[in-house]
Amino acid sequence: MEQRIIEIGESFTKELNIVKNSKDLENIRIKFLGRNGLLSQLFEDFKSLPKEEKPKFGQTLNVLKNDLQNNFDIKLNEVSASEKSEKSFIDFTLPGKTKSKGSKHILIQTLDEIKNIFKGLGFSVATGPELESDYNNFEALNFPADHPARDMQDTFFVNPDFLLRTHTSPVQIRTMQKYAPPIRIIIPGKVYRNEAVSMKSYCLFHQVEGLYVDKDVTFAELKGTLVSFAKQLYGNDIQYRFRASFFPFTEPSAEMDIWWQPSGKEGRWLEILGCGMVDPNVLKNVGIDPEVYSGYAFGMGVERMAMRKYGINDIRNYFDNDKRFLEQF
Amino acid sequence: MKISFNWLKEYIDLSGIEIQEVIDKITLAGLEIEEVIDQSKMFKNFVIGHVKEVKKHPNADKLHLCVVSDGVNDLKIVCGAPNVAENQKVVIAKIGAVIPENNFEIAKAKIRGEESFGMLCSERELNISSNHDGILVLDNALEAGTTAADAIGLNDVIIEVAITPNRQDALSHLGFARDVAAIFNRPVKFPSIDIEEINEESNSLAYVEILDPDLCPRYVGKVVKNVIIKESPEWLKTRLESVGLRSINNVVDVTNFVMHEVGQPLHAFDLDYLSDNKIVVKKAGDENSFTTLDSKKRVLQSNDLMICDGEKAVAIAGVMGGENSEVTSSTKNILIESAFFNPSSVRKTAKKLGLQTDASYRFERGTDPEITVWAAKRTAQLIQLTAGGEICKGEIDAYPVKFGLKQVKLRFERISKILGYDVPNEKVTEIMTNLGFEIVSANNESVTVTIPIRRHDIEREIDLIEEVARIYGYEKIPDIERVKVTLEPKFDETEFENKVRETLNGLGFYEIITNSLLSESVANQFGNSIAVLNPQNMDMSNLRTSLIPGMLTTISRNIKVKENNLQLFEIGKVFNKKNDLIKSFDDFSEESILMGIITGKSIDTDWYSKDSNYDFYDLKGYVYQFLKSITNKEILHSYNAEDSLLVEYSVILELAGEELGTIGKMNDDLISGYDIEQPVYFFIFNLEKLSNIPVEEKKFKELLKYPKVYRDLAFVIDNNITHNEVLETIRNGSSKLLHNIKLFDIFQSESLGEGKKSLAFQLEYFDVSRTLTEDEVEKDFKNIIKIVEKKFSAKLRG
Repeated sequence: MEQRIIEIGESFTKELNIVKNSKDLENIRIKFLGRNGLLSQLFEDFKSLPKEEKPKFGQTLNVLKNDLQNNFDIKLNEVSASEKSEKSFIDFTLPGKTKSKGSKHILIQTLDEIKNIFKGLGFSVATGPELESDYNNFEALNFPADHPARDMQDTFFVNPDFLLRTHTSPVQIRTMQKYAPPIRIIIPGKVYRNEAVSMKSYCLFHQVEGLYVDKDVTFAELKGTLVSFAKQLYGNDIQYRFRASFFPFTEPSAEMDIWWQPSGKEGRWLEILGCGMVDPNVLKNVGIDPEVYSGYAFGMGVERMAMRKYGINDIRNYFDNDKRFLEQF
Repeated sequence: MKISFNWLKEYIDLSGIEIQEVIDKITLAGLEIEEVIDQSKMFKNFVIGHVKEVKKHPNADKLHLCVVSDGVNDLKIVCGAPNVAENQKVVIAKIGAVIPENNFEIAKAKIRGEESFGMLCSERELNISSNHDGILVLDNALEAGTTAADAIGLNDVIIEVAITPNRQDALSHLGFARDVAAIFNRPVKFPSIDIEEINEESNSLAYVEILDPDLCPRYVGKVVKNVIIKESPEWLKTRLESVGLRSINNVVDVTNFVMHEVGQPLHAFDLDYLSDNKIVVKKAGDENSFTTLDSKKRVLQSNDLMICDGEKAVAIAGVMGGENSEVTSSTKNILIESAFFNPSSVRKTAKKLGLQTDASYRFERGTDPEITVWAAKRTAQLIQLTAGGEICKGEIDAYPVKFGLKQVKLRFERISKILGYDVPNEKVTEIMTNLGFEIVSANNESVTVTIPIRRHDIEREIDLIEEVARIYGYEKIPDIERVKVTLEPKFDETEFENKVRETLNGLGFYEIITNSLLSESVANQFGNSIAVLNPQNMDMSNLRTSLIPGMLTTISRNIKVKENNLQLFEIGKVFNKKNDLIKSFDDFSEESILMGIITGKSIDTDWYSKDSNYDFYDLKGYVYQFLKSITNKEILHSYNAEDSLLVEYSVILELAGEELGTIGKMNDDLISGYDIEQPVYFFIFNLEKLSNIPVEEKKFKELLKYPKVYRDLAFVIDNNITHNEVLETIRNGSSKLLHNIKLFDIFQSESLGEGKKSLAFQLEYFDVSRTLTEDEVEKDFKNIIKIVEKKFSAKLRG
């Protein structure tokens, strides 16, 4: 028995020393430490020893078992560490395999932001055609023919009766013709102005308009709604003011300014939108009785909003679609 | 329009009110102040100087070395003006002064080796006239050290006001004063017209005949005799300069002054050049050319309203006078015209002529026919003051169409109903009165007022509510804290578009937005385009018929900046004519189109794979993934489309017989026209058709509880047999147990034989209700091999 204990100890050490990889190591484990391994056999034999010899060999056997296990563990750590570093060396500094990221156009992202605020306030979203009739774009909205009010919006005409819409307001007319009040919509979309292309202006831009027609709609409610909108978009601590203004399709009309304080520059009032109570003539034109119903409308340009927010100084960036621009948003 | 506060103060007492307060309140009331020029701030660091010594500059013939006292110190100043002399009183721009003419800031300088501590100014440099012959030499009585602003009256505050098209009544100092008066509750003071007239009557010296009374409801004339045309006095020049007008002569300056005072455009004719001493107001008719007083020949339309004398035209009504009757230095007798012309007639004429004048600008917005007589008298008064002469008695007043006075009733209850807050009744009547609206009757419920004709914008109760709101102040509207939510059905017509966008973003596509206006030739290349009547330029003359040109332009622009790898899409409208004449919405189409492209490489990281160029199969993968997300339908039939100049090859995608769109590769010739040398793969869909596809409702499918069995096989077949043909044959020849067939390899090699390829498939078998046996799978598998081998003369590999 004693001899076998010594022999097993020695051959374990010998074999362990020449181990090269985890596979060799596993073989050693099975041979010596496995369920049917040499060590197990020794313990098996130990059971049949005479009672008086048991204490002597029992101790020796336990020492052997601990030794083998300890040495095996040490070797196992060595082997697995070296295998890891050999086999799976990863250069984390190599560039990753990137694919195109993709994004919505920044103007659409800004429109979404505005849309979501108003959807939260109970507004639906309506759209309409870009090639419109003069009636829907002007007449129905209380712009008389040959009135200087038409100069407020330089227009691309296709013929005297059809034009590229100068605002999304014709969708107000279309919606009021289609549905009875209450009507609560916002209208995002492309609109056109006959202006020379420059840093500050382009022949088209994006607009969002809102319309709410119901019983007892008031200017105070318009103001409250727009203040809530502006705070959601620009922050709760904005300073704002409403200024009297003129739009043919609203009466009274106003423009909303917020105090704009660019860092390091002089602050100023900045117009962010136009609004007002729907002119009774407009309601009459779509067959809604202005004595029973009232409404408010508002509108804002998306390009300028995004220019301010992101510090874009040339409006043409939006329509050049340079990938280096697109990737930034 | 410019308003001078010094001038304004002649009509309203602003004592005790800061100018800034006026500016803030008037802005809130709807007269938007765009710019404020405070001369005293502008002329900071400008003082009166006393020239003590003038010597020649040692290094420059035309320069002088001067010593000028600013009242405290003696300053060395180098001056180039020929008229500088000792003992003059001049304006010094001291160090730190900013020259109004060019915004140049004066600093200590060395001029040809001599130090200079300021500059002596000319009138032009001070922006007070165009005179630059020499420095401005002032009255010797002035004290050195006085600020220039006070010494020469440059202490005005001038504001630029943006007047909305409805407020012509505010286009003058008196008109502006009315709004200020209403806000601050102070009276407006009209200048008194105290004139001495001779016995000779105006209407004995000139006659007015109106042939088109609808276009000219009122024409007032007044005659001033024996005037002397000369330079205007300083006070008049200063007034005109303050509103940005150039002084011409005393009579013309007076007409401009009165226009800016009260808003009535006026014209002065040289009466001696009016044949028959007659004014006839009529349409141009056959007369088609006329020379205006700026010496330009104008082409007239027969409907343009003209002012004529006994034989010829002498002015384009409301727009500009003629060269043939203008006031010159030899003019003696003047006929003053003070009229009301039909706004839209003036507007049409001015637009057609491309000639907007201060007069036409006011007439086309609607002037005040009731002020014409007052304005004519006021003009006569000031002509006499500045040019002498005798004012003839009375006015010629042709007033064929009288304006009825409007009466409007305002219900107090309606104010709070519209505005959502109460304005005290007394405040309402006070505002009406201050705006010059006469109270006809008032009780607890309402007030009825007469609207002065000058307020063309006020006709209805709602217009009066606006007046109340803007004068009372929008800032008094409470910040409402809750709004009603109505429960009508909600909708979002942009929902589908946004789903398309988000799906494509997920696949790596960037959205672009391009111009909807193209040149005619480009637009017509892709459809039957609609032209714009009044384009900005010929590159933007027609509506786009396709998104292709915008997309190719974008690709081209990106490649020029070395952005070669692109995955882009656009959603936009395209327009096509159906009939040449567009009379209704049926005569053209406006469709929402989605176009996307891939070009360049799919992976930017070159080190990993040298061959990551996009190809048709990338495109097809993207499109099918996209369509699956959008429609939740997997199978869409595709057919080869015909060749065209646009595409190298393409596939039309259809669903249930309806064409949804096209995918393919763009034609090389087409894209090389945009300097694109790399292949461009595209897809184009009609967005409305896509959105109309009924979306398969998502239903949960029970997860498979039994194991799947896989079998792999590979056939060697002829090259020209398509993947689909083999696939269909396998599918048709198999049992119901075969659920999926996946191509996992295509291989071509000489070892297979010429014109041959190998297709390798993995077949997936399972049954939802039981475990399959090896035998039944093997039987089906063998049967498939037999069928395929037979049909395509194929050989099973390995």
